[in-house]
Amino acid sequence: MAADPNKFGIFVTSNQNMRHILGITRAAVRAGKEVMVFLTFKSVHLTKSPEFYELSQLCKVENLAICADSYICEGFDNIEDVPRGLTDKQMRTQAFHGAILEQCEKYIVM
Amino acid sequence: MSDEKMKILQVYRSEPTSDVNTLVEILNRDRDADEFKLYLDQPNYDVLIQKIYAADKTVCWW
Amino acid sequence: MESLKVYILIANRVYNDGIRSGLGLAVENHYAYPVIFNGEFPRMSDYMAENIAWIADMEGEVFSCGADAPTDLPEGTEMTNVSLEELGEKLRDADFIIPYGLPKQSHEPPAACGA
Repeated sequence: MAADPNKFGIFVTSNQNMRHILGITRAAVRAGKEVMVFLTFKSVHLTKSPEFYELSQLCKVENLAICADSYICEGFDNIEDVPRGLTDKQMRTQAFHGAILEQCEKYIVM
Repeated sequence: MSDEKMKILQVYRSEPTSDVNTLVEILNRDRDADEFKLYLDQPNYDVLIQKIYAADKTVCWW
Repeated sequence: MESLKVYILIANRVYNDGIRSGLGLAVENHYAYPVIFNGEFPRMSDYMAENIAWIADMEGEVFSCGADAPTDLPEGTEMTNVSLEELGEKLRDADFIIPYGLPKQSHEPPAACGA
């Protein structure tokens, strides 16, 4: 399956680029793109920032996920403390990153 | 796609180190290279998206 | 879907999780090549050693760039030394290059980090 030119992927690995993630997502949506985002490791802390909820509203539910293992490793409760803007079904594995690489024609690391 | 024609975009989240500069120099060799500095004030994200879509490959450095 | 060549560049000691992330792609049938820069090696837990061995089993490879790989790695755990210039040539052939996490710190960590 060829990557979709209308899908834009963001792989978030750092915990300090929320401004850029939101700015890039807004710009991609303005350009008519569907944005897929996966947050892993320390970047799951970004789910606690006020801007994360806006990010969640810019992405379809099936296009935004965080690494459940990372969230638990960082001390958060993946059952009682699902981040605002997410559902428990958006707590995923690294396979979601693989899906981004396969589905998105364009991609950036943050 | 021939290697020579590849358009590559280098995006920097912080000022590049000498290691990054060395890798970028090799990556850009014989390619049509562009760059975007995210660490400068008020980056224009619309321009970044345009550049990413104009490029065949994007690398976003630390 | 063709298998992709993905290089995960790790420059900061805290972000060796990039190796696990590489394994996640390897099990999705991609080629994962984590690269540890300048001696920022992970603590070699059983879990980390298993991840590195699995990446090799899945036809990926873990590289060390800018410092010699440790010689006392657990059996079955290998890291390949690569120069910056050699790495650059390999990256030209990559489908994706992922500078992972944060850049290297400018100072050595205090003892408290190891607590």
